[in-house]
Amino acid sequence: MNSVAERMLAVLKDRGYTNFTGVPCSLLKGIFRLIEEVSEKSDESLVYVPAVREDSALGVASGMYLGGKKSVVLMQNSGLGYSLNVLTSFNLIYNIPVLLLISWRGAYGNDAVEHDIIGAKLTNLLDSVEIPYQEFDCNRTEEIVLQSLESIEKTSRPAALLIKDQI
Amino acid sequence: MEKHEAIKLVLEYFPEAYFVSTCGHISRDLYNLKDRTQNFYMVGSMGMAAPVALGLALTQPNKQFIILDGDGSLLMNLGIMSMIGHQQPKNLIHVILDNGMHESTGGQKTVPLMKLTNTALSIGYSFAMEVSSYKEWRKNIPTEGPILIHIKINPRFEKVGKRVEWTPQEIVTRFTTDLQAQKELLV
Repeated sequence: MNSVAERMLAVLKDRGYTNFTGVPCSLLKGIFRLIEEVSEKSDESLVYVPAVREDSALGVASGMYLGGKKSVVLMQNSGLGYSLNVLTSFNLIYNIPVLLLISWRGAYGNDAVEHDIIGAKLTNLLDSVEIPYQEFDCNRTEEIVLQSLESIEKTSRPAALLIKDQI
Repeated sequence: MEKHEAIKLVLEYFPEAYFVSTCGHISRDLYNLKDRTQNFYMVGSMGMAAPVALGLALTQPNKQFIILDGDGSLLMNLGIMSMIGHQQPKNLIHVILDNGMHESTGGQKTVPLMKLTNTALSIGYSFAMEVSSYKEWRKNIPTEGPILIHIKINPRFEKVGKRVEWTPQEIVTRFTTDLQAQKELLV
């Protein structure tokens, strides 16, 4: 049985999402490790660009999209704050789609204090700028990922996949 | 050097290149000086011209990309230089038009960019030069980057030209159509 991260990556690769960038979160440890490992193999077409900040990751992923590659940005929900300007003054007006894989620290209300507010308001923030999102469910990995990709490809706008538990 | 002279010089030296220009007056100046399908005008997202161009350069290694940045917009995202230095895109040229001010918002002073060429070389750019006049422009710029060109320009006093009239979505369509057409030519 493959891990959740492996199954998620398999669906993404199968649908042509081969370019990854972002800033890590402990909830995304598994998928980050996997992406780092796979991207270092020379026989793999997967590209991973480590980023200094989430807004820069979004910029790089958007450039990759313009260059013809489907791309994914991985970030903690704290990074959504840094990214809001790029989303609203770039991706959402130029119609540049990327998949936002966002860990949801503070989702259960019992996390470290710095995650309390962003954790409680994450979906309000996404709603306020009309970015569609789905909560990830590891029992329906393939189905949920595919739904997010369909939203992206139908609207040519970013969509978010919210990860509450470590993958 | 005047800003329009600097932009003209870059356009003449790199005629085949794709340009990603930063928001505010720089995108407007490029548009008014020479509108081309190979220009990607950023209208917002200050500091993001460089990341977008980096993503393009990495996915289209056979084409040349120019970042037309300002001193203010580079300062807003100086961290991107470490990502460019790390990724080492040979086809990326980072041009900084430095007038020492936020011209688009009324000429407020920027934080000075000191010894930017040293910073660029330390962080992994393969070549960097600073110019403030035509005669300082070196004709032997290497063909492989990442390259940084720091151009000191004079403050501008005449009125800026009109805003980019293409919609953001039109900018995407004509730019990506041009990129794809070029790809087909190479095949």
